[in-house]
Amino acid sequence: MLVLKNKVTSSLLKSEKKSLSRFLVLYTAMVILMIMLLSVFYYQSQEKLMLAQERAILSKYAYIQTKRLKVLHHFFDEKTTYPRDPRFRSAIYDNEFAKIFSLIEEKNIYFDREIYIAGNMIHFIETLDNYYLGARYLVIEVDNDTGWKTELWKRIFGYGSVIFIFFMLFGFYLAKLFLKPMRDSIVLLDRFIKDTTHELNAPLAAILANIEMMDMDVMAEKNKKRLARINIAAKTVSTLYQDLTYLTLEHERRNEDELVEIKPLLEDRIEYFNVWIQSKKLECLMDMEDVALVIDKRKVTRVIDNLISNAIKYNQRGGTIGIELREGMLVVWDTGIGIEKEKIPFMFDRYMRFDESEGGFGIGLSIVKKILDEYHISIEVESEIKKGTRIIIKW
Amino acid sequence: MVKKFLLPIIVVMSWVIAEDAYERHCVPCHAPLPTSLQRMFMNYLLVYGGEHNFKAALKHYLRYPSKDISVMPDLFIDNFGIKEKSTLSDKELDEAIDIYWNKFKVFNKLK
Ligand code: HEC
Repeated sequence: MLVLKNKVTSSLLKSEKKSLSRFLVLYTAMVILMIMLLSVFYYQSQEKLMLAQERAILSKYAYIQTKRLKVLHHFFDEKTTYPRDPRFRSAIYDNEFAKIFSLIEEKNIYFDREIYIAGNMIHFIETLDNYYLGARYLVIEVDNDTGWKTELWKRIFGYGSVIFIFFMLFGFYLAKLFLKPMRDSIVLLDRFIKDTTHELNAPLAAILANIEMMDMDVMAEKNKKRLARINIAAKTVSTLYQDLTYLTLEHERRNEDELVEIKPLLEDRIEYFNVWIQSKKLECLMDMEDVALVIDKRKVTRVIDNLISNAIKYNQRGGTIGIELREGMLVVWDTGIGIEKEKIPFMFDRYMRFDESEGGFGIGLSIVKKILDEYHISIEVESEIKKGTRIIIKW
Repeated sequence: MVKKFLLPIIVVMSWVIAEDAYERHCVPCHAPLPTSLQRMFMNYLLVYGGEHNFKAALKHYLRYPSKDISVMPDLFIDNFGIKEKSTLSDKELDEAIDIYWNKFKVFNKLK
């Protein structure tokens, strides 16, 4: 029981995958945003720290330079050489922000700030109390040593990825938690079906056998029709039964691959559903070549049965069913109700039914998909609402 | 006869034309003072900084000189007194101050 549960439900359904990927995209975006925000804050705080350290040095330079300007101011009639220092570059501006003299390289100056990073430089603005040489502002400029920056980036990336990984793991855990209720209901349904399937076998076999044994010749026309209806109903239930047993038991059996002639198999299955086809007054167009395939016969029968019974079930009265068989390709088409384009990707999900008026568990196509996937055979659906559906299988 | 008059006239004329408002109105009275006009400029600059500030402050001072707002040391004022109120017209005063500023401003002088 446990083994079965795991096997059946371990792979994700399409609809689950969609909501899961949506959740993950949203979650990842949020995590990245959060990490980015944190990085920005961290970066800014580190930058502030660095500037605070630089500030002490730069204000010392400013003090020295001010003293030199003072001297120059008093001897300006004799000396006009601006004081230079190898440790920094400087400039003086008057109180109207007009440049008096400048040695600095980065021309953008923000006089309203005390210390800031300008390009690759650090600027320190000192406001003078005495306007030596008419200068109100003294700008001190030093190269911004980028060592701290690379170190900082390394740290941001390091911590950033650790946090990212942690949150992604947490996200996956969350996603699992959030899928669990969905998961649980599927497991419950699986178990229910499995239990009921066992009880179906004997009565179904009895009904089908007895219909075959009935003597049609002595029957009134009215009763013949009734019998045909019983026959159809019994076969529908039988197909369902086959699907259910396949789902719950069969697929654990090992494959018995053999060379299967597809054409006679198709003819046989059409024959099997013939009563049903007749009752819906469907026309059956068969265009088949001789094609053989190495495959498990029971499995390919499940595929064919499901495709044909869908083509009948969803067809309108007096419609057409077509079967085309070519080397490497099988097409089953109908002139039925069709399916909306957006719903096609979810067609193969288990318990997905599109027309609530039709019965069934919605497991047929999921079995088809599972079997085809196993043999790496592709399936394609083309459909138009109220026009019909074409199912193309290629191997 | 004519030559006798012509020379002094030319001298006076050229003196009036060549000398600008600053040389005419400021320099002569400042000449005997021990502190040069340039020194005074630097003293003034130290307190009033930028161009507009400087010119407006100086104009006000020339019109209403006072010991309280002078930039000169007390010792200097005690010896030479406060200057007289200027009686020059606004235009002449502005012109003289402009020339004064341009002559001694620090811009473009530093190397
Ligand atoms: C009548 C004489 C006289 C004239 C004309 C004169 N000055 Fe002065 N000036 C002085 C004296 C005296 C002082 C020093 C005492 C003082 O500051 O009041 C002085 C001081 C100054 C100062 C220092 C101001 C301060 O705050 O103490 C400046 C600048 C100055 N003069 C510029 C000028 C300019 C420019 C002109 C021409 C428009 C001019 N002076 C015309 C006599 C004169």
